Amino acid sequence: MKNILTIIFRLTVACLLAGLVMGTTFILTNKAKKHNIHVNEQKVMLSLLGFSEKNPAPASVAMHEVYRYLVGEGEGLGMGYLLPLRDGTYSFVTLDLAGGFVAQTPVAISPEKVVEESERTPAIGAAIGAEKPLRYADQTIVVTNDGKRMAYLLPGRFPGFKTFINAMLAVDPGFSILGLEIMEHEEDPGLGAEIDQEYFKNQFKGKQLETVKKLEVVKTPLPEEYRKGLEADKSGLGAEEVARIQEQYKDNDIYALTGATISSRSVTNGVKAMVKKFAYRVAILDRVLAEQHIATPF
Amino acid sequence: MATDKTNLQLVVNGILNENPIFRLVLSMCPAVGISTTVMNGFMLGIAVLFVQVCSSCTISLFKNVIHPRIRIPTYTLTIATWVTVIDMVLAAYLPEAYAKMGIFIKLIVAFAIITMRLEMFACKESVNASFWDGIGMGLGFMFGMMALGFVRELLGMGTILGYDVLGFKPLLFFVLPFAGFFCVGLMMAFFNYVEIVYKRAKRA
Repeated sequence: MKNILTIIFRLTVACLLAGLVMGTTFILTNKAKKHNIHVNEQKVMLSLLGFSEKNPAPASVAMHEVYRYLVGEGEGLGMGYLLPLRDGTYSFVTLDLAGGFVAQTPVAISPEKVVEESERTPAIGAAIGAEKPLRYADQTIVVTNDGKRMAYLLPGRFPGFKTFINAMLAVDPGFSILGLEIMEHEEDPGLGAEIDQEYFKNQFKGKQLETVKKLEVVKTPLPEEYRKGLEADKSGLGAEEVARIQEQYKDNDIYALTGATISSRSVTNGVKAMVKKFAYRVAILDRVLAEQHIATPF
Repeated sequence: MATDKTNLQLVVNGILNENPIFRLVLSMCPAVGISTTVMNGFMLGIAVLFVQVCSSCTISLFKNVIHPRIRIPTYTLTIATWVTVIDMVLAAYLPEAYAKMGIFIKLIVAFAIITMRLEMFACKESVNASFWDGIGMGLGFMFGMMALGFVRELLGMGTILGYDVLGFKPLLFFVLPFAGFFCVGLMMAFFNYVEIVYKRAKRA
């Protein structure tokens, strides 16, 4: 009996110590980690739009963040969008499941605080009345050039082989894919981890909505010419040649990675779902915005 | 019961006499799955080296207060803690290295080689000896992974460290996971052969 108590006591102490060490490290490093992720996200967003340090984005290009929420529960479930308005304030637009307009509520929050989920969600809750459960779903970044829509950036998350894959997708106003970037994943190195290689992720570039809707994964080997076109940085092909190869293969399915069919399929299905759902939702949101004369900057 | 080996002998022991992959045959899953290129082998080797050294020193330091009945849970806890800490520190202060190493570090928690080394060595020996044993085991694992990666990358993709050396792909089969077993088996036979030849030469 005494033995068991000693064991319980020592194991508890060991767990507490381990927890203490991990917790302390988390507190010390979390801020820097978040900062790194944020910096990386900004860089990826610009590169997906075709901008880089050498070719910076012109001042007329602006990014507007739209946050989507699930409002209510059961029968009363609806969708809410936190939208920036032209005068710099924010407004929360609630829709019912059929896509009909329910309400528009102004939300008092500053542009610095809106990016923090822990600040944003309570602010919205206070604006619409706290009795409704509010769940954050995802965000969309609408990129405009001179007030005209230029692209949408969609940060997304879908299940991979072991755990979730975080990705960022850029689509143009006609929902053709401009680019895909894998932000974070835990696929197996040498196999599924190849999803972040150019010869895989660039296959999505240039695919149109109609193609994406029925996109599948094929297990035939990747043609050598296509690979060269996808790895333009490595093979040194000119922009014209790359555009020609992209045009030639734009209706093809996705070529699976060797030994990683599940990872290839997860990414393909994830991208497919993201684009399809987004195209559907943005059409409804646009209709409501036009009907209600809500003045957004995009 | 302290070891009578010198620090250098401990390191060499990890690389040759008790090489984790070819002699102890431990941690075969990563050896087979990940050793597709030299670079992957090197990355995983570095990650294992860090975790092995840190865990060995920790266990060696606390060896007198660990209850013998709960050794293994304590080892797992120690390894998991170090993996998490290294993962968070890298992500915060070395984002470039983390982008390349991150997935390898998260893979380590359940590696047999680390637990086995804690059980066989670190829980009996001094911190100093455990440190050098950890270095030896880490380097031995890295050497094994890189040797496997070299063969598989060369035969499977015709490249070394991403550079095209052959100009063609001899046997695509070698990059697939099951080819790892063939490589491990053949290389194990090779190392055993070297040992036999060496012993004979010594006797003669």
